[in-house]
Amino acid sequence: MRIVLASMRTAFLEAWTNRRSFWLQVTMMMANDLVWIAFWVLLFNKVGDVRGWDARRIVLLYAVLTTAAGLALGLLANSRRIGRMAVEGELDPVLTLPVRPLVYLLTKRVDTSLLGDLIFGPVLFFTLAGPTVERTAIYIAGSLASAAVLVAFLVLLGALTLLIGGKGEQSDLGFQAVLIFSSYPLDIFGGATKFMLYTAIPAAFVTGLPVRLVDEFHAGTFALLLGGAAFISLLAAMSFKLGLRRYSSGALWTRA
Amino acid sequence: MAVIEARQLSKSFPGRGRKAAPVEAVRDVTFSIDAGERIAYIGPNGAGKSTSIKMLTGILHPSAGAATVLGYVPWTERRHLAQRIGTLFGQRSQLWFQLTPRQAYRLLGDIYGLTRAEAASRVDELGLLLEATDLFDRQVKGLSLGQRMRCELAASLLHSPEVLFLDEPTIGLDLVAKQRFREMIVRLNEEKGTTVFLTSHDVADIEHVARRVIVINHGHVIYDDRVSTMRRSILSHKLLEVRFDESPGVLDIAAVEILKHSGLGYKLIVDTTVRSIKDVLDELLDRFVVGDISVEDPPLEDVIGNIYESPER
Amino acid sequence: MRITPYRSAFVTGARTASAEPIEFALRPLFLVVILMVYESLWGVVIEGAGGIVASYDYRAIIWYVVAAQAAVIGIIPRQIEEIGDDIGGGTIAVEMLRPVSVVLFRIAAGLGDALVRSGSAFVIGAAFVTVTVGPPPSATAVLLALPAMALAVIANMVSQYAFGGAAFWIEDAKGAWFLYQKLIFIVGGMLIPLEFFPGAFETLAHYLPFWTMAYVPGRLMAGHFEPWLIVIQLAWIAVLFPLATLIFRSGERRMQVVGG
Repeated sequence: MRIVLASMRTAFLEAWTNRRSFWLQVTMMMANDLVWIAFWVLLFNKVGDVRGWDARRIVLLYAVLTTAAGLALGLLANSRRIGRMAVEGELDPVLTLPVRPLVYLLTKRVDTSLLGDLIFGPVLFFTLAGPTVERTAIYIAGSLASAAVLVAFLVLLGALTLLIGGKGEQSDLGFQAVLIFSSYPLDIFGGATKFMLYTAIPAAFVTGLPVRLVDEFHAGTFALLLGGAAFISLLAAMSFKLGLRRYSSGALWTRA
Repeated sequence: MAVIEARQLSKSFPGRGRKAAPVEAVRDVTFSIDAGERIAYIGPNGAGKSTSIKMLTGILHPSAGAATVLGYVPWTERRHLAQRIGTLFGQRSQLWFQLTPRQAYRLLGDIYGLTRAEAASRVDELGLLLEATDLFDRQVKGLSLGQRMRCELAASLLHSPEVLFLDEPTIGLDLVAKQRFREMIVRLNEEKGTTVFLTSHDVADIEHVARRVIVINHGHVIYDDRVSTMRRSILSHKLLEVRFDESPGVLDIAAVEILKHSGLGYKLIVDTTVRSIKDVLDELLDRFVVGDISVEDPPLEDVIGNIYESPER
Repeated sequence: MRITPYRSAFVTGARTASAEPIEFALRPLFLVVILMVYESLWGVVIEGAGGIVASYDYRAIIWYVVAAQAAVIGIIPRQIEEIGDDIGGGTIAVEMLRPVSVVLFRIAAGLGDALVRSGSAFVIGAAFVTVTVGPPPSATAVLLALPAMALAVIANMVSQYAFGGAAFWIEDAKGAWFLYQKLIFIVGGMLIPLEFFPGAFETLAHYLPFWTMAYVPGRLMAGHFEPWLIVIQLAWIAVLFPLATLIFRSGERRMQVVGG
C-alpha cells in the first residue's frame, strides 16, 4: 500500500509539472463530455424519451461513465497500454523492482486529460443527478465496480497480447468498443448485442448495471455487478501472471 | 563463493509468423561467477547478451536450464532477488522524464523499503561517489545523456545491491562520458565489493572495466577467461607497417606473414613466439631499402573478432 | 503554376493512408462498432416515434450516419492541432524552403490520405449496413452523395488549414482546435441530423461552414435528391480555400519578418 501511494504521488507530481497543459486538457475533456450530453438533449427534445431514458438518466449515465473512466484511464493510465508496453519491452524496468508488477504498472502513470473526467463525473452527479444519500452511496460503489471492470478488461486485453502476440491493436479496438457501448443506454440494445455487452465487451457492467442500481436498487443486480467485477478482475490478474511467463521483453520484434 | 551460476541456460522465442521455427536466442549457456568479480559479457548484436541478462534478473523465463543468483532462482523468486541486485539497461530509463532524479529516488526508496532518512543519506553518498549531487535536483529531461546515465546508475544503486547488472550502459555516450562512467563502475567494485556483470559490444568497456571476459555468439559461450590472458594471446603477435623505397621483390622472412600490400606499402604480422621483433627488424633493414617502419599491437577488437568468427563449438 | 509537385504530394498522401496495414484495417472496424451502436439506438428511437422522425425513417437515418461518419473519419482527429504544432514548432519554416506553396502541398498530401481513408471506411460501412439494414433508399441520390462525400472531405481539409493558420498569430491555441472537432460533431450534423435541432439553432447551423462536412453527404445518402446542397459545398470551398492560402501566405511573410 505504501508503494501504491508513493507511486501515485510520483505520477501526480509528473503530471503536475506542466500545470498549464494540465488544466487545458482537463477543460477540453469536460467540453467533450458536454458535447455528448448536448447530443442527447437535442435527441430527447425531438422524440421525447427513448425506452424510458430521458435527459436526467443520461446525465446519470455520463456521471458514472466519466467517473469510472477517470479512475480507470486517468488514475491508472497504464491500464490501456499494457499490451503495447509488453510488445515494446517496457515491462523490463518494472520487473527488476521488488514489487507486484501489475499493481506498480497500473499506478505508475496518470493521464491528465482523463483526470478531467474524474472531476466532471462527480460534479455532474452532485449537481444534476439527484444526489440523495442512498443514491450517492450506490453511485460511489457502482462507479468503483465499474472502474474495476474497465481496468480488468483492459488488463485482460493486454495479457492477451502477451499470450497470443500482436502489437497491442486489439487493446485499442477493445478499449474503443467498450467505451462506445458504455456511453449508450443498455436498454437500446437487444439480443446478441446485449449478450455481448455482458460478456465479450462488458459495457453492461461499466454503465448499464450501475445506472440501473442508482435509480432502483436491487440486491440481485448489485450482486451481479460486484460478482462480475470480482470475476473479471481475478481473470485479468491471472492472465497477466500467466502472460508474464511468455513475456519476451520486446525480443520478438527486435530480432530478425 | 559463486554469486551467479548458470547451467545450460537456454531461451527460444517463438518465430515470427505462424509456421516459423522458434528462434534460439541462448543455448546451453554455462558459467559461474564469484562475489566481487567484474565480468564483461560480450558478443555481436543479436548474440544473446540481453536475453541472458534478462533471464538472470528474472525478467524472462528460460526455456531450459537452470540458474541461481545470490541463491535465488531469478524467475520464480524475482521480487526477493530484486531487493538485492541492481539493474541498469542502457536503453530504458528508471527515472521520470518530467521530474528530478531526487523525486524518483524517493519513490524507489519506498519501493525498496528504505526509510526516508536511509534513502536521503544513501542519495547523498551516491551523489559524492558518482559526482552527481548537482544533477539530482534538475529535471531529467534537461540532462545530457551522460549526466542522465549517472543518475540512472544512482537509481540502480540506491538499495546497495550486491550484484550490479548493466546492459549496454555506455551506448550512445560520448568518449569522455563513457570513460567517466567506466571509472565509476570500477570504483564501486573496488570500494564496495559489488559484483559487476556488464554486457557490451564496446571493446573499451572490456579493457577498462572487466577483469574477466565471457564471449557469447549465436547463443553459445565461445570464450571465457581473464582479460589479462586474452591480452597475452594478443601480445604473441605484432603488426608491422613498412614502406619500402625500392620494391622488395619476394618477401621471405621467417615468422612473418603479409597481411596486405599496395605498391610499396606493406602490412605484416610477426609471430613473436617464434622470433623476436628485434630480429625481424634487423633482417628487414639489412636486406631491403626501407623508407619508413612502425610497430603496433593488434587491436583487441581484431582478436575478439577472430573469436566471433571461429567455428561454433 | 506547376501542378506536378501537388499531384505527387496527393499520391504520396494516398499511399501513406495504407502504409500501416493493420492500423488501416482497424479504423473501418471502428466504424462498424459505431454503426452497431447507431443501428440499435436509431432503431429504438424511430420505432418509438412511429416509424419516421424529422423526415428520416430507419433505413434513411442509418445511411445518413454511414456517409456523415465516413466523411469525417478520413481526416485524422488531431490534424488541426498538428497544423498548429507545425507552425509553432518550426516545421512550416523548414517547408518554406521548398519551391512549392506550403499550404497547397500540405492540402494535397492531406487530401490523398483522407480521401483513401474516407473511401475505404465508406465501403466497409456501406457493406455492413447493406447486409444489416438494406440498400440505400435512393440510387439517384447516391450518385449525388458520393461526390458530396469527397467535397465534404475537401471542405473540411481546407477549412482546417484556414482555422489552423491562426497559429501564425496566436501562440499555443491548442484548446481552440479541439473545439473545431466538436463543432463538426454537433452543428456539422455528424452525430445527429440538423433537422433534429430546434428552429433557431438549425438556422444558425446553416450559416456555418461545418454542415457541408458531414450533414450534406449524410442528407443526400439518406435519399434526398437535393443538388443545391452540393452548390453550397462548392461555395464554401470557394471561400475557405482562398482564405487558407491567404492566411498562410501572410503568416509565412510574418514568420520571415518576426521569426518563427
